[in-house]
Amino acid sequence: MTQFNTLENVARSINPSNTETHFPKLASLSQPHIQSFNNIFDSKSNLLNESLSLIKKNKYLVNSDGTSIHCKVNLLFSFLITCAVWFEKIFIGKPIIEGVKSAKVVPLYPSECRERGISYKSKLSAKFCWKVNDGPIQVEQKALGYVPILVKSTKCNLEGKSPSELIKHREDPEEFGGYFIVNGIERLIRLLIVPRRNHVIGIIRSSFANRGPTFTPFGTQIRCVRKDESSQTNALNYCRDGSIFFRFSYRKQEFLIPVVLILRALTNLSTDIDIFESLTAGSNLKNSYLTDRIELLLRNSSGVLGLPTTRKSALEYLGSKFHVLLDSKQDLTQEEVGEELLKEVVLVHLNNNRDKFELLMSLYALSAGECAEDNPDSPQHQEILLGGHLYSNYMKEKFNDILDSFKTQIKIDQRKTPAIVNFQDKKYILKTLGKINTDIGRKMEYFLATGNLVSNTGLDLQQTSGYTVVAEKLNFYRYLSHFRSVHRGSFFAELKTTTVRKLLPESWGFLCPVHTPDGSPCGLLNHLSHNCKIITTPLDCSKLAGLISSFPGVSSILTKPKFDENDVDAILSIQLDGKIVGWCNDTTGIKIAQQLRSWKVENGKGVPLDLEIGLVLPTNAGQYPGLFLFSSLSRMMRPVKYLLTSSTDSVGTFEQVYMNIACMKEDIVPGITTHQDFAPTDILSVVANLTPFSDFNQSPRNMYQCQMGKQSMGTPAINLPHRTDNKLYRLQTGQTPVVRPKLHDTYGMDGYPNGMNAVIAVISYTGYDMEDASIINKGSHDRGYGYGTIYKSEFINLAEKRIKGEPITKFFGLISSGSGLSKEKLEKYKEHLDTDGLPHIGVKMSNGDPLYAIVDDVTGKVEIKKYKSMEESYVEEIRLIGNDQGNEPLQKIHIKFRIRRPPVVGDKFSSRHGQKGVISQKWPIIDMPFCESGIVPDIIINPHAFPSRMTIGMIIESLAGKAGALHGVAQDSTPFTFNEDNPASEHFGEQLKAAGYNYHGNEPMYSGITGKEFKADIYIGVVYYQRLRHMVSDKYQVRTTGPVHNLTQQPIKGRKRAGGIRFGEMERDSLLAHGVSFCLQDRLMNCSDYSQAHCCIKCGTILSLVTQKKNSTLTEKNLISCLICGEGKDVDVIAIPFVFRYLCTELTAMNVKLKLEF
Amino acid sequence: MNTGGPEVRISNISPEDDIIEFSISGVDLSIANSIRRTMIAEVPTMAIDLVEFENNTSVLTDEFIAHRLGMIPLLSTEVSSIDYTRDCNCNQYCTKCSVQLHLSVSAKDANKIVTSADLISSHDSIVPASNNVTIVKLRKGQEVKLRCVAKKGVAKEHAKWSPVAGVAFEYDPHNKLRHTNYWYEKDIKKEWPESKYAKEELEPGLTDAYDCKAKPETFYLTSEGTGAMEPRDVVVTALSTLLAKLGLASVLLKNIASATEGNEDNHNSGW
Repeated sequence: MTQFNTLENVARSINPSNTETHFPKLASLSQPHIQSFNNIFDSKSNLLNESLSLIKKNKYLVNSDGTSIHCKVNLLFSFLITCAVWFEKIFIGKPIIEGVKSAKVVPLYPSECRERGISYKSKLSAKFCWKVNDGPIQVEQKALGYVPILVKSTKCNLEGKSPSELIKHREDPEEFGGYFIVNGIERLIRLLIVPRRNHVIGIIRSSFANRGPTFTPFGTQIRCVRKDESSQTNALNYCRDGSIFFRFSYRKQEFLIPVVLILRALTNLSTDIDIFESLTAGSNLKNSYLTDRIELLLRNSSGVLGLPTTRKSALEYLGSKFHVLLDSKQDLTQEEVGEELLKEVVLVHLNNNRDKFELLMSLYALSAGECAEDNPDSPQHQEILLGGHLYSNYMKEKFNDILDSFKTQIKIDQRKTPAIVNFQDKKYILKTLGKINTDIGRKMEYFLATGNLVSNTGLDLQQTSGYTVVAEKLNFYRYLSHFRSVHRGSFFAELKTTTVRKLLPESWGFLCPVHTPDGSPCGLLNHLSHNCKIITTPLDCSKLAGLISSFPGVSSILTKPKFDENDVDAILSIQLDGKIVGWCNDTTGIKIAQQLRSWKVENGKGVPLDLEIGLVLPTNAGQYPGLFLFSSLSRMMRPVKYLLTSSTDSVGTFEQVYMNIACMKEDIVPGITTHQDFAPTDILSVVANLTPFSDFNQSPRNMYQCQMGKQSMGTPAINLPHRTDNKLYRLQTGQTPVVRPKLHDTYGMDGYPNGMNAVIAVISYTGYDMEDASIINKGSHDRGYGYGTIYKSEFINLAEKRIKGEPITKFFGLISSGSGLSKEKLEKYKEHLDTDGLPHIGVKMSNGDPLYAIVDDVTGKVEIKKYKSMEESYVEEIRLIGNDQGNEPLQKIHIKFRIRRPPVVGDKFSSRHGQKGVISQKWPIIDMPFCESGIVPDIIINPHAFPSRMTIGMIIESLAGKAGALHGVAQDSTPFTFNEDNPASEHFGEQLKAAGYNYHGNEPMYSGITGKEFKADIYIGVVYYQRLRHMVSDKYQVRTTGPVHNLTQQPIKGRKRAGGIRFGEMERDSLLAHGVSFCLQDRLMNCSDYSQAHCCIKCGTILSLVTQKKNSTLTEKNLISCLICGEGKDVDVIAIPFVFRYLCTELTAMNVKLKLEF
Repeated sequence: MNTGGPEVRISNISPEDDIIEFSISGVDLSIANSIRRTMIAEVPTMAIDLVEFENNTSVLTDEFIAHRLGMIPLLSTEVSSIDYTRDCNCNQYCTKCSVQLHLSVSAKDANKIVTSADLISSHDSIVPASNNVTIVKLRKGQEVKLRCVAKKGVAKEHAKWSPVAGVAFEYDPHNKLRHTNYWYEKDIKKEWPESKYAKEELEPGLTDAYDCKAKPETFYLTSEGTGAMEPRDVVVTALSTLLAKLGLASVLLKNIASATEGNEDNHNSGW
């Protein structure tokens, strides 16, 4: 039972909690964003320091007193001086106000950043370390600029603040953070879908065959993720001649290496027969398909062809090819470079080469084997790229770039001025460091401000832009959806095929099937189901490998069991995060999976709840079998009920496919079903859940509502006086819905009303309700129904126009003496402006009114700037903005305008069921139809809106709303609560009956005009209505005369510039077809660029005419004559479109003469 | 059957609840509906129409407070002594055609609720009908200071001048006239509630013949007022307003009739 809880709401707003948030569910919405950002610095994961340790080993410089750099490295090795440089110990503080001359540190809070239009960032510094030869490590603390900080992260000053403290810091009591503030604008890093890490998928793609001769469409792929969340994708391509290529891209370049080279380089298996046996271990040797191919593979690359055959030679070979690319230090042997390549690009999630070799074998088996291809578009093979992790990786690359440019700088010195290069000299090192750009903060800020990824490596991602979006506060639904949206990647948006957009059953419970926009981003921009979580805390799985190998029937990694013809069971690999931890047969696999699951649910033996146990049993040409365990970050998981113990289990996208989870109670199959959904609404996103009775509606209507809920005028925020957004829409008369799902309260939506309850009659009354138009009761309108306000903001910065370094000469102010203003003018300006040059608060502004005044210190003149908008507004707030220290004269202000938007004819309204319409009339209250009780509807809609759209949910809502209003109760509208045995109509019908109303929600109604009872009874009830932000005042375009284009004399286009609407070719066609030529001439000539021109009838040109001033006083007329004919007697005036003259001149320039015939 | 002209029966007057319940019989449907319409839209009352703000530091915007002030019912028993501004000789508004109300509240020590009781009227009887209409809530330190001008008007122009919140109107509780069809699924008796006025009229028997020429006779009205006027006064004023309008109409009609009698030929030839 839902309740209004009005008293609790009031108490909460008067005395906000000073311990914890009121709505933990609401606060958890931004959790993936915040937690992933925290992972960068947390002691547990500490991604950034992990990253630094990965890049440090690579950056060595070699100097041999300036001369030997071009000589052979090996020969001179003993004379070389090497210098290693790296970064250590990154430090990021909390944002503070810089340059304050006080002992106390002044913290910077997000609200100040928003109000001042600055970025919320804090100082980044790290230890720059270097070591010459084996000498001592030298350290220099280096400031690296200011990096943007995520609001409510551990680096934020708002972290862990209670609602009452948040209010003190000018935030909403329920502020949940998760975004950055860049130049006063809130931006967040989008969640992106990427392939599941450390798991091999098989792909059959015809484009693979086009890579070259002998290539086939078969391939496998794995996205390997290092400890610091950076990734490297590896792929194998299978060729017809039995060979296989290992494919990877490095620094945006793609490379193919024969896989044999890698196999040889990875292990010490000396002979081909050893490799053969190792690869075929555990498989049926009588099945010649595999053996033949491996034999072929090895034969094709045997020593006869001059290819390396030993591990050492293979490594050397690789090293010789990749020395330059890897930019490795110059004193390495080629063998070492080869090792480095393996470490850098081959299956980077694994640490030792032996592990890598094992996994390559399974890659190989998959490539040649007979299992089904995997669907990379299925959530089963996907995970989420989290903002914090992207942020960390990007920052890592920027650190790498600094080291690279340091190296380049030294190389330049070595070439140009070898004498000054001296590694022993600390001054030289620091001077060189000073020369390079080390402002990482700027780069991070640019990334967040634009979403553009400026990167040399590409970070193993498919797009270079669109990573960040503005978290628009249009209304609260839209705002929170930003944090729950998951994008598939802009690469897929251009794809012609629609397979990536498909809604797959695998996404059940993870991605909302309803909440996706229609149109171009349909299916690519999804939203997380409201209970879906993303793993952001590292799991402790240290005991897991030991636990698995202790199972009976599990053989160790090294001893893959031999294939036994008599045994029907197949051999499965057990992989933990892509690393093989053992082998077993499928019966043992089932036992292990079951045991692990019961442990994980009970949290026994150290098996974490968020471990994913995907048991893929061998099937005929099904998915590649194995027992796959995942404990990594970024996976989507959701809570379900474990039926055996009735406790909560966490289920991931990979394992869900192979599990038996019932949705409803009646779906449970005894002996098979192990899990059950907590509620059928778990599959829906937050916004989709807020649609009442959505299970009664035709599905597209619910999608439309998800869109419209996000464009309705509502309550964007509670801290409105402290917001400086460009545009804010606010509904002044918002209400809590009578009919709402339980989740409405769970998510604290009462704090952010999004519409109002309205009495709706479904009747075709006047004809003004045709085609989705609706009639609004003028009485309701008079009483403030749907009244809205728009807040528009403008920053005015005088410093922008000033050249940097020049003294400040312009100030805000309206002075009388020496200003060059007459007394009357000054008086007139004073109506709007004060002596400080700024408008009065609350003053009405119309087009052309003075907005602010500037005094020039040098000339003493006053400059008046005018209000430019066509729409009347009131000055709501003025903010005087100074610098950090507060010691600069006022140069920057912020003005907020308030625009009144009462509903007018043409404004758009909608119910919560995808039923939108425009207001067509404000109908006088006495003419409106009325009920016997005297109730007059607020809005009349046409019954034709229902049959084709089948929004039964709206009909039920009307019924429920009426009953709720009559009894004074809130009605629960959670979907899937009613069914055939317990119909909603019965439930609410009984309530209506009890209140003395018709069981079906109908009432006899009377015409307001005649007073006669209508022949039919009318369906009337209470429906929650949203006012959409599309308003005629923003859209109407009308023009009589106005500005024209100065080249063609035709009206210009654009609503903003008072232009016209194009009367285009198709419009012209229709007038031609109607035969209304006078109308056509009116549109295209008289109302456009009508002009008169002199024309020489004789030679037919309009360009050759010149005016000669007549000296005679007898006539006033000037003589116009034709230059070509030399006389003026054939000159006449004709009407032409002005653009024709332009055409003539253009043609003349091309040496084409245009001649008119008369 | 009633033949002695219209008859009004008042079943309930409750000034505390601003309710009057009455029935009219012996009139045509159009007359009954006209009374309803006049009660809603053409009974003049007083309402705040102009607001001049001196200071407003509350959370609500000026126009929002002004709108709320307009909606406050003012006691309009003496509305007849006030002229319409449009009929007044004054320049903008004067004491003859308007009443001024002042509101000046500042929350000095604690949060405060500004109510209609804080509106100080310059008139003795034209004052807010209720003292507990919340206008705005002030936080400590906020202030509202303004001057309102209340004017006479009718709800045709703006709903704030309506003396009633709603008027219930019903006739023919047993649907003898068959003006409407009661839609039902299984059982009309179960699905449709019985009208409040069902007992007032005889229920037709199953065998009673349908009289296709019958007209509605008795109309049951209930008016719920806003407090601006006594419920009785609403009806009385409505009737007199209606009467005045009908009187005007009949005079005008007579004029036209006499004019057309004289020019009958002219009239015919003209068309």
